[in-house]
Amino acid sequence: MMNMLIHELRQNQKATIIWTLSLVAGAALYLSIFPAFVTEADTLRKMLEGFPPTFRKAFGVTLESFATVAGFYSMILSYIMLAGSIQAMNLGTSIVSKEERGKTAEFLLTKPVRRSQILTAKLLAAFISLLVTNVVYLVAVPLIINAMAGAIIDIKTFLLLSFTLFFVQLFFLGLGFLVSAWASRIRSVLAVSLTTVFGFYIAGALDSIIGNTAIRYLTPFKYFDFAYIVKNSSYELQFVLIEVIVVILTIITSYYVYVKRDIRST
Amino acid sequence: MNIVLRELKAHRKSLIAWSVGMVFLILAGMTKYSGFANSGQSANDLFKGLPGLAAAFGIESVDLTQAIGFYSVLFLYILVMTAIHGSLLGAEIISKEEQEKTAEFLFSKPVTRTQVVTSKLFAALVNLLALNLVTLVASVIMVGAYNTGESVTPVILLLMVGLFFVQLIFLSIGIAAAGISKKPKLAAPVATGLLLAAFFLSLWLDITKKYPGLKYLTPFKYFEGRVIINHNSLDPLYVAISLGIVAVMLLAAYLRYNSRDLSV
Repeated sequence: MMNMLIHELRQNQKATIIWTLSLVAGAALYLSIFPAFVTEADTLRKMLEGFPPTFRKAFGVTLESFATVAGFYSMILSYIMLAGSIQAMNLGTSIVSKEERGKTAEFLLTKPVRRSQILTAKLLAAFISLLVTNVVYLVAVPLIINAMAGAIIDIKTFLLLSFTLFFVQLFFLGLGFLVSAWASRIRSVLAVSLTTVFGFYIAGALDSIIGNTAIRYLTPFKYFDFAYIVKNSSYELQFVLIEVIVVILTIITSYYVYVKRDIRST
Repeated sequence: MNIVLRELKAHRKSLIAWSVGMVFLILAGMTKYSGFANSGQSANDLFKGLPGLAAAFGIESVDLTQAIGFYSVLFLYILVMTAIHGSLLGAEIISKEEQEKTAEFLFSKPVTRTQVVTSKLFAALVNLLALNLVTLVASVIMVGAYNTGESVTPVILLLMVGLFFVQLIFLSIGIAAAGISKKPKLAAPVATGLLLAAFFLSLWLDITKKYPGLKYLTPFKYFEGRVIINHNSLDPLYVAISLGIVAVMLLAAYLRYNSRDLSV
């Protein structure tokens, strides 16, 4: 159990480091344009005030959060979340399926461990990898905001906003894990993970243009309304519940399926 | 020729899946538009008066209430999806022989490495073209269905030519990654990593106007829907850059693949 966990962590080590650095560097790149953005913001804000609400909605921008550091961070967080979701989905999709692809499943399953233990070790390793990414992110980004954007973000708002990255990652980890446990042979992990994540992202992006709220229940990218979080310093309970239920369901189903199914050995 | 047929057959299933996905994307996207068109006020006038404002949000003067305007937003995502298809296809079609340990078998046949890469390239091109045609037909039908003004078919044709260049760029990046790298496992991650970097760079360029020169670095800025729709033409500079990238990538792939040790 412990051996498997350490083995998986070591295998994921490189990818986790690369992803963590990329996410932080990406955040820094986006935050670096905040000062230029804020100088234009006042003029833009005055212009926007004169327009009907439908027009503002077409841009997905609300007046209150616009051009504050929290508002700007909310905007870029959705991009960081897209990248982070790809990381999580990749991790989930590959961690179980690689044994069959690499023809190591037979070897692993002859060891005196139950299949459920294998899954637990792998799930735990994936969870720890994401946790590491998020801890580094949560420590680094406030410093970057301070240094590059020249602004101080309210720490509670920042944490509430940034925790959503982890939540959405867990959603995709669960989904990827399920796919990984279920499908007997995934030829290309990237094809599965990239199309799934972008699919959810596109669904959310198109619907925010037209202001459709029904999609919020379907795509994790819309579970957390950043403007709502900034305004109320809290999450919307029903979406947190959906998220928790989906994650638990995907994981339980993964165990249920993997414990029973045939594992290809050739 | 045998290799071409074999590759076409090997990718048939995945091509069908991608085509179905693409049709679904366009269908779902334009169906959303129908809800939007009814509720939409004339955002058009506001957009036209304020190019600066609109540009700040990355929606440079295109009328979202028109079917083709809404399609231009969708077009970015079509670009991303076909780019994923192209880069994965390019990386996989070359690297799989090494990854699945069939390289030794393949190269014991009386074929040169150049012939193998050329056959695979040809098969990949057929796949790109097929996906492009599916996108074209689905777009013409779906946008046409909601279009109220003059025919949009010519401009969609133009967009598809742009789309094909982006497909070619990412295919060649995938082929180069697989052709150059000694570790076949790295080909797909490297190719898609570059793709993601280009995509996030283009999102970044949408919210800043500070470094306009950087747009040459990301193919997602070469053939933007709204620009093509407004100007009704492709920018020849970007066509030239695209062809240049493709040529360099393919040349590098051929040269390196011809001379390097295969991982067996």
